[in-house]
Amino acid sequence: LETTRFGVIEIEAEKIIHMPSGMLGFPRRKRFVIVQHKENSPFFWYQSVDDPGLAFVIANPFLFVPDYKSYTRNILRNVCLEEEETKNQAEFYVVVNIPKGEPQKMTANLIGPIMINNKKRRAIQVVLHESPYSHKFPLAGKTEEK
Amino acid sequence: MLILTRKLGQKINIGEDIVITLVEIRGTQVKLGIEAPGSTNIYRREIYEKIKGQNVSSSRIGPADVSTAISLLETNQSRGKKN
Repeated sequence: LETTRFGVIEIEAEKIIHMPSGMLGFPRRKRFVIVQHKENSPFFWYQSVDDPGLAFVIANPFLFVPDYKSYTRNILRNVCLEEEETKNQAEFYVVVNIPKGEPQKMTANLIGPIMINNKKRRAIQVVLHESPYSHKFPLAGKTEEK
Repeated sequence: MLILTRKLGQKINIGEDIVITLVEIRGTQVKLGIEAPGSTNIYRREIYEKIKGQNVSSSRIGPADVSTAISLLETNQSRGKKN
């Protein structure tokens, strides 16, 4: 697989995630792979398989927002990829933003998580209409307060 | 833009599958009912714009910015432990 950011990377076909609706704003890119930024990194790249130049920065939300877990359970109750069985196989990522030169202002979008059905390797970007969370949740803010 | 006038309870068809009903009018707010196939994505516009905006700016981040952000998190973490 060719990428602009990481050069040519090797991926297993079964690692490809299919997004029938794509990411919001990018409806035509329907296949992605998750690439770890580096070992033990909290951030990953959600790299398009069809567009070498397209990749989003994503993170595991539960590392930053522990109570997001109970919230995603709610999502699963209301939104479902296909069948009931998806509920036990879903994995969540959130889209991260890092303003250039101001990493302390990095944020995560908690109202548009990527929900992946691991077994089927299918995903959607869930749009949360009634959410207590922000689309710009600060990731570096909390520790600074100490 | 096509603009249609509707009364309470009246409907609009978009194609064969999508039906919009004017359910309630209260002051400056209206309630709409939308019937559409399960595969149709329906969003409140302002939320759609927020998520799309975050996607677009996230797609412009370079690997160097991510590395800087990670070292910042690591510094914060070790500082947190010391305190």
